Amino acid sequence: MACVKLEHVKKIYDGGVVAVQDFNLEIKDKEFVVFVGPSGCGKSTTLRMIAGLEDISEGTLTIGERVVNDVEPKDRDIAMVFQNYALYPHITVYENMAFPLRIRKMKNDEIHRRVCQAAEILGITEYLGRKPKNLSGGQRQRVAIGRAIVREPQVFLMDEPLSNLDAKLRNQMRAEIILLRKRLDTTFIYVTHDQTEAMTLGDRIVIMKDGFIQQVGTPEEVFDTPHNLFVAGFIGAPQMNIFEAKLDKRTDGYHVLLQDMDLKLDEDKCKLLENNGVKSMDKVLLGVRPEHMTACSESETNCVKGTIMVNEMMGSELHLHVATGMPKNTILRLPTVDLTSAERAALVAGNKLSFTFASKVVQLFDPESEQSLLYK
Amino acid sequence: MTDLEYFKLSKPAKMWHNLLTSLRNLPKSVLGKIKSFFMFFVHLFVGFFNEIKDIVLTYKNGDWKTRVSFTVMGFGSCARGQWLRGLLFFAFQTVFNLYIIFFGGAYLAKFNTLGTVATTRKGRVTVYGDNSFLILLYGILTIFFVLAFIYTWRMNVKQNKLAEEVLKAGKKLKYAKDDISGLLDSQFHKTLMALPTLGIFVFTVLPIIFMILVAFTNYDANHQSPTNLFTWVGLQNFRDLFSTANANYANSFGQVLLWTLIWAFFATFLNYFLGMLVAIMINKKGIKLKKMWRTILVMTIAIPQFVSLLYVSKMFAADGLVNSYLMRWGWIERPLPFWTDPAWAQITVIIINIWIGIPYLMLIATGILMNIPADLYESARIDGANAVQTYGKITLPYMLFVTGPYLLTSFIGNINNFNVIFLLTQGKPDVLGNKAGATDLLITWLYSLTVEDTNYKMAACIGIIVFVVCAAISLVVYNFMPSVKNEEDFQ
Amino acid sequence: MKKENQIPEVDIVVDHEAGVIREVKPEKLRSKKGHERRVNTSIYVLLTVMSIIWLAPFVFLVLQSFRCESGGQVNYLLPKQWGLDNYVFLFTESNFPRWFMNTLTIGLVVAVVQTVIQLSVSYTLSRMRFRGRKLFMKAVLVLGMFPGFLTMICLYFLLKQLGMTQAGAIPGLILIYVASSGMGYHISKGFFDTIPKSLDESARIDGATRFQVFLKIIMPLAKPIVIYTILMAFMAPWGDYVFASYVAFGKASSYNVAVGLYQWVNTNDFQGYFTRFCAGGVIVAIPITALLLALQKYYVEGVTGGTVKG
Repeated sequence: MACVKLEHVKKIYDGGVVAVQDFNLEIKDKEFVVFVGPSGCGKSTTLRMIAGLEDISEGTLTIGERVVNDVEPKDRDIAMVFQNYALYPHITVYENMAFPLRIRKMKNDEIHRRVCQAAEILGITEYLGRKPKNLSGGQRQRVAIGRAIVREPQVFLMDEPLSNLDAKLRNQMRAEIILLRKRLDTTFIYVTHDQTEAMTLGDRIVIMKDGFIQQVGTPEEVFDTPHNLFVAGFIGAPQMNIFEAKLDKRTDGYHVLLQDMDLKLDEDKCKLLENNGVKSMDKVLLGVRPEHMTACSESETNCVKGTIMVNEMMGSELHLHVATGMPKNTILRLPTVDLTSAERAALVAGNKLSFTFASKVVQLFDPESEQSLLYK
Repeated sequence: MTDLEYFKLSKPAKMWHNLLTSLRNLPKSVLGKIKSFFMFFVHLFVGFFNEIKDIVLTYKNGDWKTRVSFTVMGFGSCARGQWLRGLLFFAFQTVFNLYIIFFGGAYLAKFNTLGTVATTRKGRVTVYGDNSFLILLYGILTIFFVLAFIYTWRMNVKQNKLAEEVLKAGKKLKYAKDDISGLLDSQFHKTLMALPTLGIFVFTVLPIIFMILVAFTNYDANHQSPTNLFTWVGLQNFRDLFSTANANYANSFGQVLLWTLIWAFFATFLNYFLGMLVAIMINKKGIKLKKMWRTILVMTIAIPQFVSLLYVSKMFAADGLVNSYLMRWGWIERPLPFWTDPAWAQITVIIINIWIGIPYLMLIATGILMNIPADLYESARIDGANAVQTYGKITLPYMLFVTGPYLLTSFIGNINNFNVIFLLTQGKPDVLGNKAGATDLLITWLYSLTVEDTNYKMAACIGIIVFVVCAAISLVVYNFMPSVKNEEDFQ
Repeated sequence: MKKENQIPEVDIVVDHEAGVIREVKPEKLRSKKGHERRVNTSIYVLLTVMSIIWLAPFVFLVLQSFRCESGGQVNYLLPKQWGLDNYVFLFTESNFPRWFMNTLTIGLVVAVVQTVIQLSVSYTLSRMRFRGRKLFMKAVLVLGMFPGFLTMICLYFLLKQLGMTQAGAIPGLILIYVASSGMGYHISKGFFDTIPKSLDESARIDGATRFQVFLKIIMPLAKPIVIYTILMAFMAPWGDYVFASYVAFGKASSYNVAVGLYQWVNTNDFQGYFTRFCAGGVIVAIPITALLLALQKYYVEGVTGGTVKG
């Protein structure tokens, strides 16, 4: 019913700045899609085009069965939650939530029913008589969401709704949005710059940069098989480690050479490289996530050697920044449960540390195009 | 030179470096200005050419409804069911035709001479000839009407083309209902702007263009319509204004212009710094009754200037309160020449203007002082700055930055500060000839020339000069001050 | 202000040798306190002198308006014979009540119409992006640099064609004041610019047309600037002499207070009318001053906001 389709959508501002390039996406009914990317990547612009707050320079936008390029926002049957809440300061919470319904000239009883129901869901019944300025940030955000859900719209748009909240509240609201989504069961489009929000909320994630879509996929897909260097670096925290390595094609398959380490790639990866016609390369970008690194004993040979520069104790895990003689420090993320206290005492700044990783977890990128070599 | 090297320089060396850099960049920036000016005309020409091409193509590719619309405006729109638009186009065309035929055409025809048939008297009957004033005014109006007609006609053609495209794409046209509801929504700006723009056009733009053109005629006491004709004289009036021959306008003009600039300078900056000082005094920590001091000053703003200034003007007159008390106390023997001696009068108006201006600037400065983030002061205190240093390094730069645009507007406002001068002195003492007095600003001189002398041509010239002065100052300031450049910076 | 007073007076000093920031207790700063007291005392003296200078002319004005023994300028301040003669004259023998009503009428009408126009224009310029927006703003900037009186002759003629001079000067003046009010959009636009745009957007998504946004969201939030605009529009006509005298030329019943009182002082035998002018001035000044002081908060907000926003 309420699927949203963007075909070759483009946004060019008056000054000639292109904010969104050739955006193609089909959002299915009742799907939760997250647009994620650094600031200025065009994610908000895309959302605002869907909302009708920005004109679409080229391409077509379809909501449901209808092409809505020239339809006013009020006639698109969408609701939107803004980053700064955008509550009307001069009226009470109740009237804020009733506003969209009053504009539509709905009957008073129905308005009352819907507002009370929404307030119930969001746990803001006791604040209905207050003005927005007398609410905390989290409460305001709930009111903003409440104002959106009373409409029972076809599509929910959310523009960085949690960015103005502090970290603790953000985690809590994130969980609430997941619950809310289960309850409402409608199409959601959610914009954020926070990859954690994207991973936890989205059915599918759209990663954008400089107006281009970098990758569309489920959280697992974008995490496990990033299409390019940007996606690899953007998803996951701390960031994926990138090494300059050598790729050697031998008779028994592909080998990656990094410092003293010689890593033979597993069958699946070799097959993919073979299919993509990859030859031996003097320089290849090797990506390994910090959590996929393992520390190894001095005696082991097939590993990378370095010195610990910084150790960050995070509680359940330990983040180690290790200098290896390569341009950037390598980050290791070690779960603390697995470490004995003697081991932990050795993992401090200044000490030597060797680490290694398995062939299963590595990513390979072309240094020029920055595209993944393991592309299916 | 890299940034780091620049930071190492001493203050004078930095200034010298900046000067050199700006001089080096001068030819480039001037060239850039010239180029963009030139490009403006290129764009204009290309745009014009494209319009023509589009019109021709519309005719060639259009259906018969479109083609008929080229002569009967709005026909195509009506024929496609957009009757509201169509009728409006048609109504405009009809009105325009009637206007040209029965009214405007005649005036336009005489526009180049401003009339040739003089008014004569046959015995006791006056036979009126051409009225130059009306010809000039209605001539301008007609020209604007013609331009508006061309624009509307072009819109009419465009509408047809658009409608054809929309129909071809299988979409729906916008009908009368959509047009009307659009006026409260997507086209709401048209609803809101229509009346104000019309008002500005008729009551500001039209009169200004009229008076600009008067500066190029000989419209004065000897050429008053309807009894006498006046006509175009080219740049003659400006030549007179700058020449020392005959009435020696150049002398009067030069002196008035000089005084105008001196006045504007003092009226702006004296008030600015004194007002800021008063604001700082009132807002100083530990000073009590802040609200009372402020209210006393605000009260003086409220009293209409014609009351306060006229009264003060009388206070300082030869037989006014000030002189009589000074004499009674035996401080002086003869009345002080507050209004009769040129230099005395000039200084007195500047001082009285401080009296007028400080309350206003105190308010502005207070508002800004309150906005200076407190942590700036705290940080300066921790860094060891004393009161004077804090003022010089934080308060003043912040004020100057924030009030940059205001200072510009205020300077221009003071060039045109009619009220203070007129109510205090009327420009007197008249010592400069040609109705100009020692305290006359360009604007009050313009007023005397108009009202007392009916010397409209000279008044119009001076009006143009005032504009040129203001525009030049604004342009210079805009190019040097970052905070006035960008509208969006303040949003 | 109050909060600051509650903070104990301590000064912070950087101790370079120890490399720490120390708080110095007030006892050690006793000499500084004495200095502070001297500074404050001189400020009080200055402010008092200033207040006297600023208020004196108005006190004189009021004093002279009660003088009965002669109507001209005299060389003393306190009336020898106190009385309401001048006020009685104003309301029984002169045109003053008429002038006052004229000005009041103009002020009220202008206040309403000008406010509507100015708020419409500034809202549009602040919120909507359309072709000609920049052009409009630039044109207003350029037009504003021409001296206003330049247009006087032409306007006089236009009004004459409409029968709005001399006897009809009141509607004529209203028309002149109101016609170009679109040019004074700056201050209220600056105010609108501070209202977050997301409120508009949110309301539009909620189903409001732009007209409804203007009416239901922006207007209720713009109360301070609405009051400021009304106040300014109402006050301006009270001080206008130039246009008012030109349009009403020679027709005493069409004067506003400024023209009428100006003529008393300058063209008539002002020796006889001086105290009457004072009385008239007092009558005009009282309501205007009361109004401004009552709405001082909004006035100050408008003035300071307008300067900072440009």
